[in-house]
Amino acid sequence: MAQARWSDRIAGVIFLALAIWLYVEAGSYAVRFGDPAGPSFFPRLVAVPMGLLALVLILRPDADPTWFRWPQILSQAAMLAVLFGYPLAIEPLGFPLSTLIASALLAKILGATWLQALALGAGLGFGLFFLFDAVFGLPLPTGPLLG
Amino acid sequence: MDILGYLLIGFSEALTPQNLALALIGCFVGTIVGALPGLGPVNGVAVLIPLAFSMDLPPGSALILLTCVYYGCMYGGRISSIMLNIPGDEPAMMTCLDGYPMAKNGKAPEALAISGIASFVGAFIATIGLMLFAPLLVRFAIHFGPAEYFALFVMAFATIGGITGANPAKTLIAATIGLALGAVGIDPQSGVPRFTFGSFHLFDGFHPIVALVGLFAISEVLIMLEMKAHERSQAIKVNRAFARWSDIKPTFPAMLRSSGVGFVAGVLPGAGASLGSFLAYTMEKRYSDKKGTFGKGDPRGVAAPEAGNNSAAGGALVPMLALGVPGSGTTAVLLALLISLNIQPGPLLFQNQPDIVWGLIASLFIANVVLLVLNLPLVGLFTRMLAIPLWALMPLVVMVSFVGIYSISNSSFDLLVMVSFGVVGFVLRKLDISLVPVVLGLLLCREMESALRRALSISGGDPWILVGSGISIGLYVATALFLVTAIVLSMRKRRAAKVSREVEDEYVGD
Repeated sequence: MAQARWSDRIAGVIFLALAIWLYVEAGSYAVRFGDPAGPSFFPRLVAVPMGLLALVLILRPDADPTWFRWPQILSQAAMLAVLFGYPLAIEPLGFPLSTLIASALLAKILGATWLQALALGAGLGFGLFFLFDAVFGLPLPTGPLLG
Repeated sequence: MDILGYLLIGFSEALTPQNLALALIGCFVGTIVGALPGLGPVNGVAVLIPLAFSMDLPPGSALILLTCVYYGCMYGGRISSIMLNIPGDEPAMMTCLDGYPMAKNGKAPEALAISGIASFVGAFIATIGLMLFAPLLVRFAIHFGPAEYFALFVMAFATIGGITGANPAKTLIAATIGLALGAVGIDPQSGVPRFTFGSFHLFDGFHPIVALVGLFAISEVLIMLEMKAHERSQAIKVNRAFARWSDIKPTFPAMLRSSGVGFVAGVLPGAGASLGSFLAYTMEKRYSDKKGTFGKGDPRGVAAPEAGNNSAAGGALVPMLALGVPGSGTTAVLLALLISLNIQPGPLLFQNQPDIVWGLIASLFIANVVLLVLNLPLVGLFTRMLAIPLWALMPLVVMVSFVGIYSISNSSFDLLVMVSFGVVGFVLRKLDISLVPVVLGLLLCREMESALRRALSISGGDPWILVGSGISIGLYVATALFLVTAIVLSMRKRRAAKVSREVEDEYVGD
């Protein structure tokens, strides 16, 4: 089977677009007197090699990597959902509860039993809360549980 | 003042009860981080930086804590190489070759003891080298003007990928990505907000530590999940507690030779502990493998890579401290710590804050002794920790990252940025684009830009100032030679790869 080489090409196109945007956007920054380079010179200096290297990626791509394996992709998606959900939950639910839930879910995704997952979640949720809040003296959101 | 006088100041700084306790904790945690497969020094140090901030330590103490973690990792990595045949971190890869066969032959205690002593010898020699060599480099670098610094930064980015045969275009593009990310935020010299989309969240730019923890730790967890398929193998049982001296003694010459090789590899740009251990092993094999015993459990094959990687880890601190230009992934992370502590490494650091530099060097000596003690009699404790299941380890890493970042910034926006960086890091690693140059770009962008702008201000905008001195020209020539070598090597590898292609997932590096 011929090697598919689309990943590098697509990445190259994205980086090329990014480089062009950087170059154009940097041009809009006003140049002051007494500062010959100004705020636009350095970003442009970075954008030029970025664009050229993106062309190299497009013209000489490596073989595609294995992007995802089945069924691990399901656990990865679930983990990302937890990772993105946790920052949103930390303030409304408070640190101990949101950490308990998030780490229990992560442990479950990684193959723990429910009992193990809950035990770990409780340990991390309250343990880290105690460490940071009581020992280091950094206030964390308590939420309705301890509030 | 001479070196001994400075060292005395250093020891008086490092031997306070608090710093001593921090060194002890750092060594212990570092050994665990190094020993656990999948949790390398880069991740370990990155995750612990916010923790050091939340403890509100003075800069010198924070630095001591984290460099002890760094040295500890280098000691710990060998444990799982020997016991499980899985490197605990990337630099320990070479230790598998002879360490695991030795353990299988019933010589696990000897293998652990030899590698522990080799780690000590390597790290000790490297710390002495750091002490002697860094001030020399400082004396040379004190004459650098902004144009020379700019050339030095260019060289750092061109060489960070090393000559490992990885696609140089990808390493270089990684550096430009990092530099572009570093430019986000308000330009400190003109006050113009750049690439912020008008969002005030981005006015301060990306906090290097937020980006770092995301890129390394979060992407590592995602990669880990993919690897879960192959189960962990069982650790080899150790039946004797003490190693035989007769097995250890003949390996000392190998340790000394490899320490020298490793230190040089560590000081050179673009080479870290992994290359140090690789070079040390191959040279030792060429030098003393007369009967073809290497790879089958030769004690010298255990001593060489361990002395090499620990020595390289110490050597890598030389350019980081003396020039502010790190040569490896983990020293880049340590640079992030320094910058966040408002310490700008480089020649001026040695002049203005000798207590920090020499306190660090003294604590490295202390760390070495502590690590030797921890790693010889207590090695059984660390061996047992290899049994910690993934389902407990990974949530712990993730949650410590989250709480660390949250406790320094108190903003859930930063947590989302961190996770996003994790996804970006995952994609880049899949594309075989190394993350170390990205981080380095992000860290050094401000310094590099200000060097360029100062140089151009001095010359009134004349770009010829950039190649106006012998030092700059020399640095550019060296950079060009290095790039040509890297390109030739990667083209050769590409041709070889056409024959048998196996896409391997990239490790973060050391």
